[in-house]
Amino acid sequence: MAQTAEHTEAHVLLAGESVRNESDGSVRLVGGRCDDCGTLFFPSAHVCPECMSEAVAAADLANDGTLYSWSVVHVAPRGWNTPYIAGYVDLSDGIRVFAHVTGTDASLLEMDMAVSLTTAILGDDDGVPVESYAFTPVKG
Amino acid sequence: MREVSVIGVGITPFAKYRDKTLADIGWPAVKAAIEDAGVEKKDIEAAYCGSALGGMMSGQRVMKQLGITGLPITNIENACSSSSSAFRQAYISVAAGVYDVALVMGVEKLTKFGGGTLPLEKEDFEVTHGLVMPALYGMRARRYMHDYGLTEEQLAGVAVKAHKHGALNPEAQFRNEVTLDEVMNARQIAEPFTLLHCCPSGDGASAVVIASAEKARQYTTSPVRVACSEVNSGKYMTGFRDMTTPEITVRGAKQAYEEAGIGPDDVDVAEVHDAFTIAELLYYEALGFCDKGDAAKLLEDGETSLGGRIPVNPSGGLLSKGHPIGATGTAQIAEVVRQLRGECGDRQVDGAKVGLTHCTGGGISGFDHGACSIHIFSV
Ligand SMILES: [Zn+2]
Repeated sequence: MAQTAEHTEAHVLLAGESVRNESDGSVRLVGGRCDDCGTLFFPSAHVCPECMSEAVAAADLANDGTLYSWSVVHVAPRGWNTPYIAGYVDLSDGIRVFAHVTGTDASLLEMDMAVSLTTAILGDDDGVPVESYAFTPVKG
Repeated sequence: MREVSVIGVGITPFAKYRDKTLADIGWPAVKAAIEDAGVEKKDIEAAYCGSALGGMMSGQRVMKQLGITGLPITNIENACSSSSSAFRQAYISVAAGVYDVALVMGVEKLTKFGGGTLPLEKEDFEVTHGLVMPALYGMRARRYMHDYGLTEEQLAGVAVKAHKHGALNPEAQFRNEVTLDEVMNARQIAEPFTLLHCCPSGDGASAVVIASAEKARQYTTSPVRVACSEVNSGKYMTGFRDMTTPEITVRGAKQAYEEAGIGPDDVDVAEVHDAFTIAELLYYEALGFCDKGDAAKLLEDGETSLGGRIPVNPSGGLLSKGHPIGATGTAQIAEVVRQLRGECGDRQVDGAKVGLTHCTGGGISGFDHGACSIHIFSV
């Protein structure tokens, strides 16, 4: 399985507006920040869950975080490449993100280890690769 | 508010009924509850039906089979807490004096989805990214193992205990005992869970008839008092949360004990939401049956087994009795009512006077759980 998406190929972008591709090939997670109360949340929405303000602007999230927990998933709905590692990543800006953990063997994972943002092909939709954001352990 | 009693319970044993309709899965439980209560069809003033995935008008579809129609029937969806939430609505209406007698049911047919993990809401961000319920609980388990030193053997012990109880329940979906080796060597689902760490998919129904305490005396000499009825929703959090503490259950338990005027030490028997092995251990702590971090010891000491200090899930629980989502809440209530009436035979908790049911679930982004319902009953 390719760990990095080939952007020239046709593929389904799973995260849509929650991920932005940078010109250097890297990605950013994009959440929402309330202009009125400052609450940061992910994924973004049209209304602030704290103060109900509709003045929500796109906000880049941190690219790095720590792995809160994970599970190697062997049984999943059709379309996912199994087994895959599902995890929760605590970003350095205080947001917890559900993500696939890629580019590593599950036996090498540790609680609270440093991880960073990447992209990966996670499955397929009737033969078309499905790509989304993922996290991978920080080397060294 | 008036006192309310349970006067009848019934169950359609949990199994796979691929060839039956939801209506035909539902009516036997309702009929059994009505007969157990000794009420006439015309005595039932309102009905509340909990189903998570049964589709529109589940309650009407079931009740028409028995010709109980024309009354107010309300359908309630609250994931795993659907029929326990329906019970609370019925309880409120009777306690408030709107009705004297009401019926609650839970019904579900999961075999219509084929096998595999429970179909979740596609609109949810985490679900679209591959979150499945076993993985969510698997992450809770992994974190708890790290934080509190729980071992895989101890975790597997929950399933062994569940099946030991379920083997004594003629209405359980699985009535076989399992060994620690069998649990640990079953096929992998979402680590650290094998298949036997996960509740089975299945079909079934359960029903309860309640009445005002005053009216109950007309029908039965053994009413079971509703000591508290409580439903909560989870709190949406975008930041970090401790997945080893089910906040919604901790909050709900505090409210429930206050409302009932008792504490966890007063509970003689409990049916808790063991959808996965780790869940039961987390709920021992959240419900106050032991301190944080001591759940594995409570299990290993046999305190939550039949004959122990606080037997948990004498029915076999979700792991062995089965978990047709919307049917679980009122099935737990049926078990506790039968325990308090002393009708449970080989799995009877001797002298049980106070029983608790706990039903929680709903995997949606940003929530510990979507809903949680706790009831306490006494005789
Ligand atoms: Zn705001």
